Amino acid sequence: MALSEGIAKLGSVFLAASAQTGGAAVLLCSVAKRLVPPRFDREELRRCLLSMGYQSLGIILATAFVVGIILVLQAYVFIDRYGLRSQLGWGAGFVTIRELGPVLFALMFSGRVGAYTAAELGTMQVTDQVDGLRCLAIDPISYLVVPRVLAMIVSLVCLTIIGNTMALLSASLVGDVLLEVEQHTFWGALLERLTPWDYLTSVLKAGLFGGIIAVTSCYYGLSTSGGAPGVGRSVNASVVASAVAIFVVDFFSTFVAG
Amino acid sequence: MVRIENASLSFDGVEALRGVSLHVPRGVLLGLMGPLGCGKTTLCRVACGLESLDTGQVLFDGVDITTVGPAERRRAYRRCGMQFQNDALFEHKSVLENVGYPLERLTEQSAAEIRGRAMERIAMVGLFGTENRLPNELSGGQRRRVAVARACVTDPELLLCDDPTAGLDPVTSRRILDMIAGIRYQARNTVVVISSDVLGLMSVSEQIGLLWDGKLVAHGGPAALWQDSQPKVRRFLDDAQLPLGGGF
Ligand SMILES: Nc1ncnc2c1ncn2[C@@H]1O[C@H](COP(=O)(O)OP(=O)(O)OP(=O)(O)O)[C@@H](O)[C@H]1O
Ligand SMILES: [Mg+2]
Repeated sequence: MALSEGIAKLGSVFLAASAQTGGAAVLLCSVAKRLVPPRFDREELRRCLLSMGYQSLGIILATAFVVGIILVLQAYVFIDRYGLRSQLGWGAGFVTIRELGPVLFALMFSGRVGAYTAAELGTMQVTDQVDGLRCLAIDPISYLVVPRVLAMIVSLVCLTIIGNTMALLSASLVGDVLLEVEQHTFWGALLERLTPWDYLTSVLKAGLFGGIIAVTSCYYGLSTSGGAPGVGRSVNASVVASAVAIFVVDFFSTFVAG
Repeated sequence: MVRIENASLSFDGVEALRGVSLHVPRGVLLGLMGPLGCGKTTLCRVACGLESLDTGQVLFDGVDITTVGPAERRRAYRRCGMQFQNDALFEHKSVLENVGYPLERLTEQSAAEIRGRAMERIAMVGLFGTENRLPNELSGGQRRRVAVARACVTDPELLLCDDPTAGLDPVTSRRILDMIAGIRYQARNTVVVISSDVLGLMSVSEQIGLLWDGKLVAHGGPAALWQDSQPKVRRFLDDAQLPLGGGF
């Protein structure tokens, strides 16, 4: 009895997850359709870039600063034991740029911007503002979703580049103070051993994660129903789904990119 | 103007409309009433093409807007103005921007013309002086009036007002209904008004539709409705005539 109930529950969770993934995929297709030729609201894009990108700078810089410090503190034991001081820059750069930076900044970004977007669109949906737009012959996807998707991709790519730089700056500083790895050793190792492909991976991942967060949060926002509690549920679902999707995509992209 | 034929629609098993047929001729003010949850809002949303029907059709000047493509449907939207039951004001825009927005999107007017026109409508609904406030700085009744002003600012051919009098005191409620009748008189458009102010609605409408449980049980002039002997109509009207506050 309990077993069949468990299986039934598992099945319904699986069905719901499939339906939601499908819904988000449909939304992604409708966004893509409006990009060639480009049909979206430029004013809304500007507003989104400002609120999503520029205004997230503080939180990303703070995160990056701490990440750099933690990285060096964690590596300290091994670096010290095996006398790898000259390679600190490479290690920190590799981990930050390829993996830690894109993922951590995407999670922060999802918590700040993705949650806000799901709540904003969810509120618009339950208060009929989305239908209000439709009544003005405005296509909600061109007006609301496309600018948000573009803004989130561009913002997260820029924020990740800035955040990576900040993390490495703080890592090199702490390395200097704590491990006596001089700045030029740190940066020399980093620049010498990292390939263009490493930088490109970082940017590609950031763009991909930005797109995931955008489509997920817009999808959950626009499919909100059930008043204010529904908005809460959408925000919750959006943040969880974005995080899961980021980890899954990160796993596969790391696998593919080597 | 709008002809709804045999419209049925259900949401997750709840039948909101069951075979409603309704013809709203051009230039008529139709009052739509009925008990809570009887499908009034749904019918209005169907009339301007916001809901897809399970069965039936919505003819907009003879064109079925439930089957047309997105471009044609947008053209239909352009001809409608809808005031939503929960106002649907754009929260990050001021009152003036909210009211001017349909003009900005749907017409070619200059910024100055739009401003003038929007101010005229804001004054008409008695909100002169609040044009620079944001919606969340307004009272419920003020928000409702902004919503009415926004719905009618383009003088749409079909104006749909979903409960513009909800939660208002009887005097303001009557004033809003008179204002909508005035707008209709000026713009000569077709208007559908939902209201729970039965007596007020009776006094401004040329036609009344009474919805009951997803069905249109009566449709005709207000005088004919008073004479109607169907038990549902009698019950609804008798309830509506209770002295205010005496329904408990
Ligand atoms: N989006 C929806 N999802 C599920 N059920 C809905 C939805 N919209 C309406 N309904 C149901 O359809 C029926 C008709 O709803 P509608 O909003 O049209 O009523 P109404 O006459 O406007 O009510 P009120 O006077 O309270 O505004 C109700 O029983 C309602 O529960
Ligand atoms: Mg309603």
